[in-house]
Amino acid sequence: MRSTQFDLSGKRVLVTGGTGFIGGRLVERLVLEHKADVRVLVRNFARAPRIARFPIEMVQGDVTRPGDVERAVSGCEVVFHCAYGNQGNREMQRLVNVEGTRNVLAAALHARVKRVVYLSTLMVYGTTPDGDLDEVAPRRYSGNIYADSKLDAERIAFDYIEKHGLSVAILQPTAVYGPFAPVWAVDVLQRLKTEHVILVNGGDGLCNAVYIDDAVSAILLAAVKESAVGEAFLISGEQPVTWRDFYGGYARMLGTAEMVSVSAAELLKAHYAQKRRKTKGILRETLSILREDPLIRERLLRTPEVVLLTKAGRSLLPKPIRQSLKRRIGSNSRTSRPQVASEREKPLRPMSPPTVQFYAAKTRVRIGKAKRMLGYQPAFDLESGMRLTEQWARWANLL
Amino acid sequence: MNKLKLAIVGCGAITQGIHLPVTALSNQVEVTVLVDKFLPRAHELADKYGVPVVADEYREIIGKADAAIVSLPNYLHAPVTIDLLQHEVHVLVEKPMALKTSNCDEMIEAASNTGAVLAVGLVRRFYGSSQFVKQIVENGLLGNILGFDLREGIIFRWAVASDSMFRKEAAGGGVLVDIGPHALDLLLWWLGGYTSVEYYDDAMGGVEADCELHLRLQCGASGVVELSRTRNLRNSWIIRGERGTLEVGTGFNPLIRLKTKNRDVVLAGRVARDGVADKTIQDVFRRQFDDFVDAILSHREPFVPGQEGRRAVELVETCYALRQPSKQPWMFLEGPRHGALESALP
Repeated sequence: MRSTQFDLSGKRVLVTGGTGFIGGRLVERLVLEHKADVRVLVRNFARAPRIARFPIEMVQGDVTRPGDVERAVSGCEVVFHCAYGNQGNREMQRLVNVEGTRNVLAAALHARVKRVVYLSTLMVYGTTPDGDLDEVAPRRYSGNIYADSKLDAERIAFDYIEKHGLSVAILQPTAVYGPFAPVWAVDVLQRLKTEHVILVNGGDGLCNAVYIDDAVSAILLAAVKESAVGEAFLISGEQPVTWRDFYGGYARMLGTAEMVSVSAAELLKAHYAQKRRKTKGILRETLSILREDPLIRERLLRTPEVVLLTKAGRSLLPKPIRQSLKRRIGSNSRTSRPQVASEREKPLRPMSPPTVQFYAAKTRVRIGKAKRMLGYQPAFDLESGMRLTEQWARWANLL
Repeated sequence: MNKLKLAIVGCGAITQGIHLPVTALSNQVEVTVLVDKFLPRAHELADKYGVPVVADEYREIIGKADAAIVSLPNYLHAPVTIDLLQHEVHVLVEKPMALKTSNCDEMIEAASNTGAVLAVGLVRRFYGSSQFVKQIVENGLLGNILGFDLREGIIFRWAVASDSMFRKEAAGGGVLVDIGPHALDLLLWWLGGYTSVEYYDDAMGGVEADCELHLRLQCGASGVVELSRTRNLRNSWIIRGERGTLEVGTGFNPLIRLKTKNRDVVLAGRVARDGVADKTIQDVFRRQFDDFVDAILSHREPFVPGQEGRRAVELVETCYALRQPSKQPWMFLEGPRHGALESALP
């Protein structure tokens, strides 16, 4: 009788992206829970302190170099491909996400790897509509370089499954949060500390979030379950939560951080009004750079010139929105936070239409397929996930 | 006057970023040999700085150099330094001077036997701020010292040229053996010896990224030292005395705040020498290097000799012997909650 799963214990496995957030936690659990013999392909050793706490093998290399990947994959039974490009220009990101994935799959085929788990993303479905979303929904390009290149990489993975019979399982996690999460923990806290976060439509939109350990449990299941082969699985928490609750969880950790409710219509109106005034150019370009790099943003935002510019920038917002914001900010209790002055100084960031749409959508990601075929069962709801995230954030000096 | 012939053993990031630029500024020294087991790396740096000889084996410097900077993976500090000292080569060894106190003793003995200078690269002793704190504490401005608190951590960005500092067998440990010697050396230098220590870190078969020490000192003060490679911490010392509190940043030219007790007076400023503050970390390394060279030429002890470097090694060694795991609740999952995964595995 054919076994439907196998044990990772003592097996040599490769993790790409192991110095990152999801890959890093995967490395930890592979060692701690499965006693796997873990190898990590490391591009930059400066990012290795967390995984270096474990007895693993680190191989220097880059997923964009086929030779490096072949060397790293050699001798491994399972490959977890978590590396992705989030630096450099669009071409560089595409190179890492698409060609990097192709290199990993080619090397895995050549080395007769038993299983490849490829970490894709919910974003391959493009702008998601309200209502239920499952894996039969059409994949769509959205113009977002990360999402589009992940979609291309996913297609290459399906090619390897169909044409070469490579044993690949694809996971499409939603917003992964938890300790060390760069986007859905560190950035959110940073934004709440440095700006007035806008809740689109009062934060009524749905946030399909998954706690890091649930995402990693799904990855591990995809590595051992035979039924995972050739399939893609959406991975999220048991139920979506509202963005109000998600951001609210972080705001509570900080004691308080004022958030501003603005309707999607108002935000879009403001966006197009700004566009008409041709205020783009250096200001808009700078803002987009600052949005992408929280470290630079934080440093620049502290300079007196930027504080002044931000004040001036605020005056560019259409009058009704300005008044609406003033009312809302003004109506908040001053007793809730000691530094009222600095709270008032916080800038308000403009939102692009895709971002407005992202936060306004009421998409419900269904995880029935992962439950049925992988035995995936989220163990964390928002409350328990946020509790651990808060303990970590306090320790990490982020609160 | 003939220039001292200097070899630099180990061509890692610190040699490229600090030692070569700093030694190039000295008119008393000529770098004659660069050693690295990876010769192309040595050649690359030798070409840039006009160093005539490269070698992939440190023993080739014997007879070719009067002095050496040893900047190798930690586990090699002791054996290479001892060998060089025994061949009367003066050595400035990077911190930690060794991984064990027994090795420190052998290094000190080798220097003593041959008369060669052994200096330890605890560069923070050369910070103007460190020397200022030493003076403040010694002249009693703070009164008896009651407590201290150091939180030092940045999300690691050091441009490491290899994985040697992350391999336990090469580095001997993680952040404790990396930043620890600097921090603990200053603590012991400023406030004197310790009587007890509790130590916690997060290593799980590899090298720790974060650690915490709870110390009690002979002077009666107690406090915490927390070091991190994964977090941006406060990055300052707070030293609390009967008469006031001193806060000093951990960087090379930090702001120093002195708060007097029961008075709402806070004095703040930076340390300068003759009105000039250090502009870059290289300025500090230059003082360290000049001290090493002067110790050789003047036949005197360097500012941080082996006996001084040994103290931090002893404390690090004690910490590892007493190690307890850090409490990080997000690290370990509760079994029953992850029943699905466990039941999926044989």
